Amino acid sequence: MTIRRDIRPGTVIAALGLALLGALLAGIAFGAVPVAPGDIVGALSRALAGRSTGMIDTLVTQVRLPRVVLAAIVGAALAGAGAIYQALFRNPLADPYILGVSSGAGLGAMIALTLTAQTTAVRYGAVPAAAFAGALLTMLLVTRLAAWRGRLDTASLLLAGVAISYTLAALTSFLMVFAREQMAAVVFWMMGGLSAASWPYVAMIAPMFAVGAVLAMAFPRELNLMLLGDERAGHLGVDVKRFKLYALAVASLLTAAAVAVAGLIGFVGLMVPHGVRLLLGPDHRALLPASLLGGATVLVLADLIARVVLAPVEIPVGIVTALIGGPFFVWLLVSGGRSR
Amino acid sequence: MTGATLLRYRAAAVGYGSENVVRQAELSVHAGEVVGLIGPNGAGKSTLLRAVTGDSVLFSGSIELGGRSLSTISTLERAALVGVVPQQVIAEFSFPAREFVEMGRHPHLPRFSRPGPADAAAVERAMALTDTTHLAEKPVDALSGGDLQRLAFAQALATEPSVLLLDEPVSHLDLNHRMQVLDLTRQLADEGMAVLAVFHDLDLAARYADRIAVVAGGALSAAEPPIRIITTDTLRTVFGVRAVVGTDPVTGSVSVTPVLRDGAVAVRDRGRVHVVGGSGVAAPLMRRLVLAGWTVSAGALNAGDADAMLADALGVEYPRIPPFAPMDSASAIHAAQLADKASAIVVCEVPFGHGNVDNLLVAVRAGRPLVLVGDIAGRDFAGGAAQSYWTEALAAGARQVADTDEVLDALAQWDNAVV
Repeated sequence: MTIRRDIRPGTVIAALGLALLGALLAGIAFGAVPVAPGDIVGALSRALAGRSTGMIDTLVTQVRLPRVVLAAIVGAALAGAGAIYQALFRNPLADPYILGVSSGAGLGAMIALTLTAQTTAVRYGAVPAAAFAGALLTMLLVTRLAAWRGRLDTASLLLAGVAISYTLAALTSFLMVFAREQMAAVVFWMMGGLSAASWPYVAMIAPMFAVGAVLAMAFPRELNLMLLGDERAGHLGVDVKRFKLYALAVASLLTAAAVAVAGLIGFVGLMVPHGVRLLLGPDHRALLPASLLGGATVLVLADLIARVVLAPVEIPVGIVTALIGGPFFVWLLVSGGRSR
Repeated sequence: MTGATLLRYRAAAVGYGSENVVRQAELSVHAGEVVGLIGPNGAGKSTLLRAVTGDSVLFSGSIELGGRSLSTISTLERAALVGVVPQQVIAEFSFPAREFVEMGRHPHLPRFSRPGPADAAAVERAMALTDTTHLAEKPVDALSGGDLQRLAFAQALATEPSVLLLDEPVSHLDLNHRMQVLDLTRQLADEGMAVLAVFHDLDLAARYADRIAVVAGGALSAAEPPIRIITTDTLRTVFGVRAVVGTDPVTGSVSVTPVLRDGAVAVRDRGRVHVVGGSGVAAPLMRRLVLAGWTVSAGALNAGDADAMLADALGVEYPRIPPFAPMDSASAIHAAQLADKASAIVVCEVPFGHGNVDNLLVAVRAGRPLVLVGDIAGRDFAGGAAQSYWTEALAAGARQVADTDEVLDALAQWDNAVV
């Protein structure tokens, strides 16, 4: 493909920022009970002044706002992690699922869910911590397994990732047998949803996301070099083995942040970085911030669809992203990955 | 004109996994010179080169950059010192060519800074040197292999290295760009870079390298000037090829003309043939005889004569006389001894003068089956002597044939291998 020289990265990033703002406002405005734009502004300003009154204020500040903020963080985290994986594996089909990292985070979160009581402070702390531990342990296990016979090459990483991923998914299902009382929560969580969104959830993953996003954006040149292959990256100054472990850890942190609160939400990490690359080219100096903004926007909108399409019944947002993402994935396969 | 030692292998053993490919390698590459590595496929030329960047394993010994051991130099620091042009360039993503070259600046850029004027200047210079400036806006995944290879060269130059490693730098290039890249390599060395390059083409190695080392049989030879390394002997022992090694009349450097592969020579021993030739008229016949399994000797030949060079390449024994000198008694006796051992003698379509008519005399009087190619008319410059020997031979039963093919047919009746 040719590069769209007429599109400047700064313009695209600014446009994505505006789109995110619009998506956040739409996410607050629409739902089972619509809220007029004026009421949103009013509710937010009263909340800032500490003088919230009435049902609309509560709806805006305690239900809709934490929900869209959480959706934005989860979407950004998944897209950021996807961008990193796609660079490390030089493969537009890579995403947080391919290494088994999501399954590892899922298993960790699952263990924490079954061992803790609902809506306690312990759970808010334990679930993300367990998810990150699960993601990190899985990442270490997969890379150790892949490097068993010498070098840490992409083919062995993908093979080990797929193998571990299935094993962990089976373990997660096995655990569900012992979590009868928690079954509804667990199943809903596994389908990928944001219905439990609240400020404590936002507080739970915001620090993880912030750290992961900053660390990810600190190494755009190395990610660019990784696209030239491990050897060439090494020639030009990347300590490839160490950088891979570092980048995988950062991507795991982002993945864990998303999985801990929203369960398994597919395709955002795959679609968003790929779409941004088609628009901006592969330079991670623009690709990473654009992916974070794009991921946030996409998930806020997907969650909005999930809430309103059968209102007042909600469907898990994972179903929406999968319904959009499945055909996208097929299109990617049919176009032969040529349009990288 | 060469300067400080910038790259040095000391008793280096290199390979992959746990397999040693080259042992005890000793080599110094100095500022201002191009050192070439030649050798058969799989001998370890690239493996030696790749050990510098950690792409192959250094098992023991050491590799030094500017006097410091590699093990004490970080990846980033090493990248600023050593430019690499690899065999294969991966360009699956659509970076514009200029950005691709700019990636070579990575070792010089602090973490959060964007490329500045100095970086832009280095990129521009690298692209100008490699004649890739016109490609600047093109996405690299849409370029040809040759363009990519030159961009990889530009990328390596953008790091402003003091050592340049080239792994078959011209493998994907057309004739024009091949010369351009090698001329550039020469120029960079003249400006003070130390260049270590793997060559497949021996003529190019001889032409562009100041010194050449041979990698074969798990060992690295000493690096010597091309004329000392690229010899008939080296080609025979290292590559299993018999070749004429001469001097290119235009460039003045060593040039190689492969004649035949050892593996292609028939195994059966057909016996000995003595060939009278000169000025290259016997070369095609000698080559075919050796290929068919005959042991060939030749009449006296002047050193530097085309037939003499081929005889050297094929290991054909002949009395060697100085350029333009006539045969003396010693060479005539030597020729007679060789003719005497042969089961048959062939006289090719060579002109005879006073200097070489003794070759004909020896052939006619040796008492061996004789095959004469062509007619003597028009090539007797020995005052009638050649004509009279020729007539004598025909009277004694010599067989006259028209060309090389008929010689081979005629020789069949004296073939040992025919039962």
